[in-house]
Amino acid sequence: MPGTISFTRMQGCIIVRLEVPGVIQYRDIMLRTLSATCKLIAPGARARSSRASLFSAHLVSAVGEAYNNIALHGYAGREPGTIRMEIEQGSDWIRVVLADTGASFDPAGARLPDLDALPESGLGVFIMRSFVDEVTYVPGPPNVLTLFKRLDEPHEASPNSRRRGPAQRV
Amino acid sequence: MLFSTSAANDVTVLRIEGELDAVSVTDIRASLNTIAEGKPARVEVDLSALRLIDSSGVGAIVSLFKAVRAYGGSLTTTGVRGQPLAIFRLLRLDRVLIP
Repeated sequence: MPGTISFTRMQGCIIVRLEVPGVIQYRDIMLRTLSATCKLIAPGARARSSRASLFSAHLVSAVGEAYNNIALHGYAGREPGTIRMEIEQGSDWIRVVLADTGASFDPAGARLPDLDALPESGLGVFIMRSFVDEVTYVPGPPNVLTLFKRLDEPHEASPNSRRRGPAQRV
Repeated sequence: MLFSTSAANDVTVLRIEGELDAVSVTDIRASLNTIAEGKPARVEVDLSALRLIDSSGVGAIVSLFKAVRAYGGSLTTTGVRGQPLAIFRLLRLDRVLIP
């Protein structure tokens, strides 16, 4: 049901689920929920670690771009469905799963931008892939995009951060 | 997202606060065009109060940068930090926009 949020604790992990209408105006709700969840990672570390802040900045950026793609492109030209987000938070990692019923778009197919040309568009997928450790995509319906990011190892944003992990379904 | 502009001595200062993203970028585009049309010698974009930027927001700033550069002006950003700085570094905009 759109607009609902649930919180579950299971086997040491926290799972937050949220479903909103698939329009751009609800982006902020999704990202603020994610940002708040990021603060639960090693809470003591957050106070003293700029790396924890960078972790949050990277993950919020990545999910924000994924959300934009769904709302602006996946549901373009059609009655928007919903976007379901599941945030699974472990001790030093977060997995975000986004599910939608819009047009499918595999981020692996996106071309790398030419940054020297100062592009004004086409940067969203590059940002998303650069700021997380793993990206998986299963076209649907529903389309399921999974982003995984770990805090422990220093992660320098890299355009090659696209190792694939197991597909997740919500 | 809130923004304001001020101009003096052929320098235009654009201050952007809050979040410059796909939701808010449409609110600022007309003002960016107006700045470029005025052809100030220098444009300073104060981002010290900008909390979040996405690819849409980046596109707007880069578009203004190119427009200013096209007539021989200069554009720099100040106060970039947090998530916007992470984005600028990834896209190598720090080399171009941050003095």
